[in-house]
Amino acid sequence: MENNLNSYFDKDSGSYKLLVRLQEVRKYGLLIAFVAVCLALSLTTPRFLTIQNLMIIVTQVSINALLAFGVTFVIITGGIDLSIGSMVAVTGVVAATFAHPDEYPVIVPVAVGLLAGLLFGAFNGFVVTRSKVPPFIVTLGTMTIGRGLALILSKGRPVSNLSDSFNFIGGGKILGIPTLIITLIVTFIACTVVLRKTVLGRYMYAVGGNEQAARASGIELSTVKMIVYTLCGGLAALAGILLTSRITTGQPNAGAGFELDAIAAAIIGGTSTSGGTGTMTGTLLGALLIGVISNGLDLLNVTSYYQQVVMGIIIIGAVVLDSVNQIKN
Amino acid sequence: MNSNSDYILQVSGLTKTFSGVKALDQVQLAVRKGEVHALMGENGAGKSTLMKILIGLLPADSGEIIFEGAELTAAHVRDVMKKGISMIHQEMLVVPELTVAQNIFLGRETKGKLFSWLDDRTLTKQAAMLLREMDIQIDPSIKMKYLSVAQMQMVEIAKAISNNAKVIIMDEPTSALSEKEVATLFRLIKDLTSKGVAIIYISHKMEEITALADTITVLRDGKYIGTRPASELDMDTLITMMVGRKIESLFPESTTQRGNEILSVKQLTRHGQFTNINFAVHEGEVLGIGGLMGAGRTEVARTIFGLDQPDSGQMYIRGEQADIRSPQDAIRRGIGYVSEDRKGFGFIPRLSVRENITLASLPAHAKGGLVRAASESAVANRMMADLRIKAASPEQFVTFLSGGNQQKVVIGKVLLSSPSIIILDEPTRGIDIGAKAEIYKLIHQLKEAGKAVILISSELPELLGLSDRIVVMAKGKQTAELSAQEASQEVVMHYAMQV
Amino acid sequence: MTMKPISSIVITLSLISTLVACNQSTTSETSKNGDGKKLVIGATMLSMQNEFIVNVHDEMAKKAEADGIDLITVDAERSALKQVEQVESFIAQHVDAIIMNPCEVEASSPAVAKALAAKIPIINVNSETSTKPSAFVGSDDVESARIAMKFIAEKLGGKGTIVMMHGYMGQAAQIKREQGAREILKQYPNIKLIAHQTAEWDRAKAMSLMENWIQSYGSQINAVFAQNDEMGLGAAKALADAGLKDKVVVVSIDAIPDALQAVQKGTLDATVFQNAQQQGSKAIETAEKIIKGQPYEKETLIPFQLVTKANLSQFMK
Repeated sequence: MENNLNSYFDKDSGSYKLLVRLQEVRKYGLLIAFVAVCLALSLTTPRFLTIQNLMIIVTQVSINALLAFGVTFVIITGGIDLSIGSMVAVTGVVAATFAHPDEYPVIVPVAVGLLAGLLFGAFNGFVVTRSKVPPFIVTLGTMTIGRGLALILSKGRPVSNLSDSFNFIGGGKILGIPTLIITLIVTFIACTVVLRKTVLGRYMYAVGGNEQAARASGIELSTVKMIVYTLCGGLAALAGILLTSRITTGQPNAGAGFELDAIAAAIIGGTSTSGGTGTMTGTLLGALLIGVISNGLDLLNVTSYYQQVVMGIIIIGAVVLDSVNQIKN
Repeated sequence: MNSNSDYILQVSGLTKTFSGVKALDQVQLAVRKGEVHALMGENGAGKSTLMKILIGLLPADSGEIIFEGAELTAAHVRDVMKKGISMIHQEMLVVPELTVAQNIFLGRETKGKLFSWLDDRTLTKQAAMLLREMDIQIDPSIKMKYLSVAQMQMVEIAKAISNNAKVIIMDEPTSALSEKEVATLFRLIKDLTSKGVAIIYISHKMEEITALADTITVLRDGKYIGTRPASELDMDTLITMMVGRKIESLFPESTTQRGNEILSVKQLTRHGQFTNINFAVHEGEVLGIGGLMGAGRTEVARTIFGLDQPDSGQMYIRGEQADIRSPQDAIRRGIGYVSEDRKGFGFIPRLSVRENITLASLPAHAKGGLVRAASESAVANRMMADLRIKAASPEQFVTFLSGGNQQKVVIGKVLLSSPSIIILDEPTRGIDIGAKAEIYKLIHQLKEAGKAVILISSELPELLGLSDRIVVMAKGKQTAELSAQEASQEVVMHYAMQV
Repeated sequence: MTMKPISSIVITLSLISTLVACNQSTTSETSKNGDGKKLVIGATMLSMQNEFIVNVHDEMAKKAEADGIDLITVDAERSALKQVEQVESFIAQHVDAIIMNPCEVEASSPAVAKALAAKIPIINVNSETSTKPSAFVGSDDVESARIAMKFIAEKLGGKGTIVMMHGYMGQAAQIKREQGAREILKQYPNIKLIAHQTAEWDRAKAMSLMENWIQSYGSQINAVFAQNDEMGLGAAKALADAGLKDKVVVVSIDAIPDALQAVQKGTLDATVFQNAQQQGSKAIETAEKIIKGQPYEKETLIPFQLVTKANLSQFMK
């Protein structure tokens, strides 16, 4: 295919540059869809476009977005992580266990929860890089293991009675802004920097875009993958801790199905499932779109049955766009 | 153009525009019955577009196609095929899980309904007959996936013949064939033309054109440049027609003296691939490795670069034994490798030119893990200018570049990791003559700069023109080490065929 | 996968046997049937991830241990198909009785029929199947919703607007709790149900749903009825965050420890106590009676109790 475009275009011409710019059209497509949905909702319900409601949407979206950031890293390298939902449960339960009032300072449950997530993620990375088993299978396995661990650690019961300072992490406000939103923004910026500005981020794209070429360029594949899965585990832990704090209890069955929402956000945001492309901005937009639709349909009192249908259509639409894009390339 | 019964296919005034850019501008082509008509031009000249229009994949904006005296109006691929124009694609379009016979008759199994009974036995019998007629020794009942690329190509040709093809288009048909298979293909082509079938032959390989073509048509930048009988056209004129400017000497004269030995391999062996390979390269020297496809040359290169591990034998760098376990080790020790498989091992398609060029040397442009954008851009821009990489901008995805420019990006990436030993594996495969000349010049410059270059090439003129010494391999063994004086096409071929 | 099939089977088998061993409780005082062997009861539970079910089961285990009975427990993980298979395997093991906590009304019924056909007594605990078992121990879910909704109606003085959170749509508990709530609503024409939506029994989902409702209806909402405590707690949290908790009545069902805490704090106005302890112990008791040929109740209905701040102390442990 390599010479097709060149036989069609003179590379210095305006239309060629336009075509190159068309690579970006998906991102704008998503943005347009997002704005259109927001517009439609603000026309149908006056309650949608209020500062307060927008704040609520972002709050509700933030947990899924954190998970989606993590899984975006993984998908960009050509992998997948199905265990993030279970990691939310494990890390939530672990953090909650250390978060009872008057036991430890609040840094302890946070640190222990994060550590649990990093370890879990590192385990995923270890198995993926050391075995020839595809990540889909590995993380399908650890998804079940994680769920079991969460049940074992909590003995099947929610871990409640958490300290106020812990409950502040995911449920409080600073200067009127929910802590979840603040965490989301900080994490988003950090993830964007990692992906766009660091050597590691470049290597992620390289590994996902062409693993053999990346290897021939002297990139240690297993190191990159190891870091990526660990990072994903860390972000899942952050999500788990925030969720636990928000609902003021560590639930062993929390996060069930979260992996699908997170993967959906990444894919809607333009991350290609075949690896090598994707941006944090796209993923954030994807998560926001999911959140806005679910919030809007709630405001309109549409039953959740339709919400699921709508979400499915959006996911397929995004993937179809992606495959059309790939054929063009 | 006058209608002449001699001509089976006449194209005139063909124009095709994509988003305002003329890919084809008033192009003409006239093909006689039973001739091999070579279509030549650099990448981007419009050959692919012309062929796509001919087989009905793309509609033309204006112009006329007359096939067997009747106008071929905007038709569907299948109709065109039925009328007698078939194309053998560069990337084979076969169904690996079906048998040879099933592939030959794919889409034409029965005349009945979709659910009618398939008679595989009759199909196989018919295929066997067809293959026998064409003197092709392939069992029609085996699955396609067990065939070599060359055999698949034969099957594709048989398929075209069974479609009563009168014109067969072949796009770079030898790019994946061994010398012996090429010979078989040429015999088949001769056989077809003697039966009145016309072949439109697209290739970058000059020696094939010289050997086969009766007539040559040259396109450049979507325009028709000219049609000449092959016998009247010498190489220089042809290249000038294609490139539009005169390329001086393809192979620059060398003045450098070779320096110290920098890399040597001793008794290098990897079971099943190569045994007992011994050679040394010096600073300011080009060491050529010749041989047929499958002789184990690429495997040796991969092993030196740490992509594979040797089973026995040693490597020495500047006299010291080097244990190279991974590409990182190799890069650290100053080895650079440009793979023969550009798409597979060379570049990351969806990263920009800049990002690809700096990929192997990124930590040098980073501080605390953060990439220093200014430093990276500067170095990428300089390399783009040095290698004359043509791209809309450094931010363009490499997948959109021409083959030659993609190759330059890969070379640029390797050069930026500042290697003292550079392995170039088929560096000019599938790229056009203009870019080839530039790569030759670059190899020369590297040598002048005191680098050691290992050049693996199947193109004998290139190998002979650039190398100071040539190691020849055959079936995994080293059969000769020749000086530039000793080496000639015949001698290299002699050792390449030795078992 | 690199593991050879045989070794994976061996590992799986050894895992299963250890798990079974863990579940078999060791006891000092031993109940025996006619042959002098220790009584064995097989129990299949809807989901061991559900706190209430775990409570019922713990009580069953406690009672079984006290009476010297071997209790083999398996988790149906909400799958009726799995449950039927588990009952089949109990039958094959010739247990003395089976206690089933059904996943579904219809789909779990074949298990009952199979047990009865094998002449093994089967006791349904907590919820029903369409095929009648040897005995039923549980509570009537419709009643729990009636109690909760009646409390809301009285608290609002028979007038106001409310919202309702459903469990997983189509599950027996969801259907019955909705039915009970609507029965009471019919008696109070001045109470308007302005929105109802599922939050899938989940606290986080309920919290998001409540936040969205607050956006939609603001201070119009006078009361929330959540079909379980998890959702009630989520709704209460969202209301508290919005500064509306004082104005809105929140009532839910199950009386899990978290909910009791919330009632004490005043974040939850009331919950309905479903007696897990009694359901568990009565189920074992009934099984024993049947095995020993003693007279037993075909249907034991454990009454629900409304829990408010006033009577909270009797439910806190």
